[in-house]
Amino acid sequence: MFNIHPLIWLIPLPPLLGFVLIVLFTRRSNRTSHNVALVGSGLSFVASMVVFFKAVTTDGLAGSPISASINWLPTGADWLRIGVLVDPLTAVMLFFVAWTVLMIFIYSIGYHNFGQPAGRNDRPGFSPEGAEAKEHGKAHKVPSVEPMYARFFALLSLFAFAMYLLVVSDNLLTLYIGWEIMGFCSYFLIGFWYGKESARKAGIKAFITTRIGDVFMLLGMVALYSVTGTLNFHEIFSNPQTMLMLTSTQSPAFGLNWAGLIGLLLFCGTVGKSAQFPLHVWLPDAMEGPTPVSAMIHAATMVSAGVYLSARLFPLMSAGWHHGGALTAPMAAMAVIGGFTALFTSTIALAQHDIKRVLAYSTISQLGYMIAALGIGAYTAAVFHLVTHAFFKALLFLGSGSVIHGMEHGVLHTGNHIDPQDMRHMGGLRRRMPLTFWTFLAGGLALSGFPLITAGFWSKDEILNGTFTGGHIGLFIVLAITAFLTAFYTARQITLVFFGKPRSTAAEHAHETKPVMTVPLMILAIFAIGAGWAGIPHAFPVLGAISPAWFQSFIGSMLSPQSIEEAHSNIPLIVSVLVSLGGLLLGWLVYRCMETAEEKDPLQKISGSVYNLLQNKYWIDELYQKALINPSLWLADKVVYQFIDLKIIDGILHGLGRAGVGLGNLLRAKFDLPVVNGAGDGLAGSTRGLGVFLHKLQNGRVQTYLLIAVACTVVLVLVICFLIGEGVIGVTE
Amino acid sequence: MIPLYWFLMLSAVLFSLGLFAVITRRNTISILMGIELMLNAANINILAFWRYLYAPRGDMDGLIFTLIVFVTAAAEVAVGLGLIVSAYRKRRTVVANDLDSLKG
Amino acid sequence: MNFLAERLLSLILLLPLIGALVLLFFPAAKSRGIKITAFIISLIPLGLTLFLWGSYNTVSADGSFRFVENYAWFPAIGSSYHLGVDGVSLVMLLLTTLLTPLAILTSFNIKERVKAFMILFLILETGMLGVFMALDLVLFFLFWEIGLVPMYFLIALWGGEKRNYASLKFILFTMGGSLGLLLAIQMIGVISGTFDLVSITTTWPALQSGELFGIPAATVKAIAFWAFVIAFAVKVPVWPFHTWLPDAHTEAPTGGSMVLAGVLLKLGAYGFIRLVLPLFPAESARFAGWLAALATAAIIFGALAAAAQKDFKRLVAYSSINHMGFVVLGIAAAAWVGGQTDAALRESAVIALNGSVLQMFNHGLSAAGMFFLVGVLYDRAHTRKLEDFGGLFAILPLYGSILIFTSMASLGLPGLNGFVSEFMIVRGVWPIFTLYLALGMIGLLFTAVYVLKAIKLTLHGSLNEKWSGKLSEIKARELAVIIPLMILMLTIGWWPAWIVNLINQTVMSWF
Repeated sequence: MFNIHPLIWLIPLPPLLGFVLIVLFTRRSNRTSHNVALVGSGLSFVASMVVFFKAVTTDGLAGSPISASINWLPTGADWLRIGVLVDPLTAVMLFFVAWTVLMIFIYSIGYHNFGQPAGRNDRPGFSPEGAEAKEHGKAHKVPSVEPMYARFFALLSLFAFAMYLLVVSDNLLTLYIGWEIMGFCSYFLIGFWYGKESARKAGIKAFITTRIGDVFMLLGMVALYSVTGTLNFHEIFSNPQTMLMLTSTQSPAFGLNWAGLIGLLLFCGTVGKSAQFPLHVWLPDAMEGPTPVSAMIHAATMVSAGVYLSARLFPLMSAGWHHGGALTAPMAAMAVIGGFTALFTSTIALAQHDIKRVLAYSTISQLGYMIAALGIGAYTAAVFHLVTHAFFKALLFLGSGSVIHGMEHGVLHTGNHIDPQDMRHMGGLRRRMPLTFWTFLAGGLALSGFPLITAGFWSKDEILNGTFTGGHIGLFIVLAITAFLTAFYTARQITLVFFGKPRSTAAEHAHETKPVMTVPLMILAIFAIGAGWAGIPHAFPVLGAISPAWFQSFIGSMLSPQSIEEAHSNIPLIVSVLVSLGGLLLGWLVYRCMETAEEKDPLQKISGSVYNLLQNKYWIDELYQKALINPSLWLADKVVYQFIDLKIIDGILHGLGRAGVGLGNLLRAKFDLPVVNGAGDGLAGSTRGLGVFLHKLQNGRVQTYLLIAVACTVVLVLVICFLIGEGVIGVTE
Repeated sequence: MIPLYWFLMLSAVLFSLGLFAVITRRNTISILMGIELMLNAANINILAFWRYLYAPRGDMDGLIFTLIVFVTAAAEVAVGLGLIVSAYRKRRTVVANDLDSLKG
Repeated sequence: MNFLAERLLSLILLLPLIGALVLLFFPAAKSRGIKITAFIISLIPLGLTLFLWGSYNTVSADGSFRFVENYAWFPAIGSSYHLGVDGVSLVMLLLTTLLTPLAILTSFNIKERVKAFMILFLILETGMLGVFMALDLVLFFLFWEIGLVPMYFLIALWGGEKRNYASLKFILFTMGGSLGLLLAIQMIGVISGTFDLVSITTTWPALQSGELFGIPAATVKAIAFWAFVIAFAVKVPVWPFHTWLPDAHTEAPTGGSMVLAGVLLKLGAYGFIRLVLPLFPAESARFAGWLAALATAAIIFGALAAAAQKDFKRLVAYSSINHMGFVVLGIAAAAWVGGQTDAALRESAVIALNGSVLQMFNHGLSAAGMFFLVGVLYDRAHTRKLEDFGGLFAILPLYGSILIFTSMASLGLPGLNGFVSEFMIVRGVWPIFTLYLALGMIGLLFTAVYVLKAIKLTLHGSLNEKWSGKLSEIKARELAVIIPLMILMLTIGWWPAWIVNLINQTVMSWF
């Protein structure tokens, strides 16, 4: 077998190269640009697959991961080293990241209408409005190509680069670099149609909100670095002395040990990136971006990165914990925040009308699931859910994009300007968009955990099992309710979009999207169904006996023996099946009778004010605006700038200046004018008189001057001779 | 040997002629020529004194001094002529009395 | 050739001055010739500095001064013409010789009194270079002042609307600081009997006895320390001595702002590193906490005030206060550790000081770049009000991309230069001033707020129709200014070792 190390280094590079090439050279040509981007992500895909298969065929990978590093930054006598690392966690991350990223790249070509004419009114910064085209002899409006097509692929490539960088990093620093570059790309991609006020706001919101988490993460990172002297994961976690020191030394804050404090700080990064409460607000607004971006950000990459960070740092977060023991502070925080977020946001998802927003809230909720699972130590279950969720959520987002695309077609066709993302205007798309329907259904069922045949079932069941057998009954109930709500709103979504009759003319004229969009959907659908079979637990009735439980043993090898969960119980299994099927059935029953777009939501009829609260997301955005953003802007402008700088500091300066001028004036009035000027004026007067006299001599003629000079010289010579004669001046021989 | 005062007489005469020209001539070029006369009168004076007082002692100061004066004179002529030409270009005259912009 | 090779520093130092003399003989009307000549002249020191950089480690490999030149200059008072560079000053030399040609290239668009402008600029360069090279206190002060005066004229003659107020404020503030500097230098010189920095560094910190006009040495030391601190704090500027900066930066011509933010601010920080830390280790350690507090205030208040600005250039000016706050925080941490023996702390101090020096360089790049880009916009639109813009990305895609790139460097986006130095400072300061650092994170957050605000109001949003068709895309000459800066930002972001190595080598020898 050849040396795998160079290949790992090379995984992130092709997309970066693609970004550079597109930005510098090919941005004028749409076709070349997307080809460059595709080749870039394709190369990374191939390399990732090779590395993945190398990883799964290596024995004892967790104990001795494939890694390599180089000196990067001199720090006194030492060096900060950066490098790459492939262990089981990296391997599974690479697997799903590579697949989803490639699918999203392909899908984007269709989504941005490659090959369509450019619209007459389309401008950069706005979503394309459609172009006139002749079809069957009649003038039609058809979708037009995105004006900033090449730029989209450039940014997508940069994004892919950052994600790969994050996954293959062997240390927190390069992980952070990838993490932040992704944050920047998401800012840019969310605000892709920057001409729209909502888009530019959403981009900034995403950046700032995640940055709140990131600055804490930065602190955690430097704390870890200064305590342990390294940022390399493997060096820290595989060194018992370091781990002991982290757990046994008191940190300066809150009576925590170092592991606890650093874990909490780093977890703040996850809260921001994975949009956990209270920093969840950016993610729904991030739907302003083009749909492939939503998928990229929400499912495949950025938000998974948050969970990945927590999973990666699990040995640190759980330092000092053993299975069944009391949770450490970071773990408790994760369990509480994750569980709360899961329930909280799934209730919001119940009342959203925008097809993408429902998915956004569902994403937050599912991420909360994973975080909560990590928090109670169900490590493999959390990672498992991370993988399956990435597939089915990417599928759902791309599917919703396909639906929106079909609806937009209908909108352009009919000229009836409705919101193509509003589910109330859809309905009956099952017949018009069959491929989208079937793949979306697969994704939806996986999300709601439809028993046995979907991937979501297996991973969700694992998590519920973990909470139950771990003795965290409260969390178990919360997550079970969440699972029920998830199934309910998924059923609501599928029913509203695909079943029943079309509720608008646009929906009647929607039609299936091109293969370039549907093929990725089908591929992802395969994973949304099949990915779960890699992790059927041994203890599962009947099926467990024939399952290799490959995922559990592969990822489980990452853990130290005392934190492996073994137990299995059938109670969570039954609950899981019940809530899933029950939620789906109830959702279908409630929503199948929606007839028109103007009709009130059935839930709204039952509980108007609660529904209102949910629809407005518990007024959290408004609360933040009033309680945090406005005061800090006021502080910045009125206090720091206007008051401290302009009033106080400059005021003192101007006061000093005025005092100086005043003193000067006083001296002038009392001293200069009478005393100095009195003498001065007399002198000046006589000088002036002399000047008037001498002026006459100065007639400008050189010869006159010379004559005067000669005359003076003669006089001078005579005087000197006279003085010599008188003996006043002595002459020495 | 020719007595020293012959040289001094010659130089005094030359100097006076030069001075007279400088003071009385109206044409600036003549004035310049007068200046040259005065300079060379001074040269003769220097050389004469050198020859009689210092040359016997082997000093070469006087010669060098004279050479420097030559160079200065040449430079001065060049600059002076240049000035005159440019003054002529500007004012269309070389008459000294008309060039009186120094008047206070 | 050997003659020159042995006097490389003098050559770099005096070439701009000679260039200024040469320009003196140019007819003022030939403004194009003057500009090009000035530009070419300013490129020579850059080339020589690069050569210096290349041969730096071939001379010796420790932290000592290299390329030293020492001639009698003013023996009556014990002052000599003593030049030399170490890793820290070499980095600053590169920054100066790099930014000056770029600033001159930027100033190709000035129309009035071109000759005077270029001459002042070249003199300014000599002044700045001199400060970074001087190993003699009197020489240091001399060049310090030489750098001051041309800047005053640059603001007062070519500045914006409020240039009189701004230039006066600038000169009064910095002159006020310089007074203390002069006083302190004289006291040190009189007591030590020499102005030579290398010998003072060995004798002065240990000095206990002796007196000056009946004042005991300890008091003299305290006075000198504070005089130094205030002089440099004004220049950096440390909060609350900072209010000259927004005015001066905003009113200065673009090229002037670039050099002002890029290099002149570094003189203050350099003064801390070169003079305050080595000469007053005990005092520095004692008062480091106060300095750190002020630096934190600069970080937070600078960022907040920047977020409140409505004028683009003023926003960038305030961002300088924010960024230089990090430099001072790192220096304060190093100062505090000066008296400690713990190995881990000393390593942190090295990292913090490395970070500070790198941050000086990085801020030089990004601040110069930002001022330049604001200038490009101002040249076209004749306004700097953020509200007057909007949606420019659609008509200026290239300019917009460059602006975003540079702002991200200024924001400290990982992968670009700002992050590396910020990370190093944060890492170094963490074990020393944990609380201040945690507070400083507020500043880091607001850095993002103001940078994004600027991008949002200029580039994003719907196009302000009054600009459509009015603004032209960035020109080749302007690209030539910004591209070297961008390349450096990227290089340092991804591969900082080439520059940090030099700094680290020198800083290591101090701890």
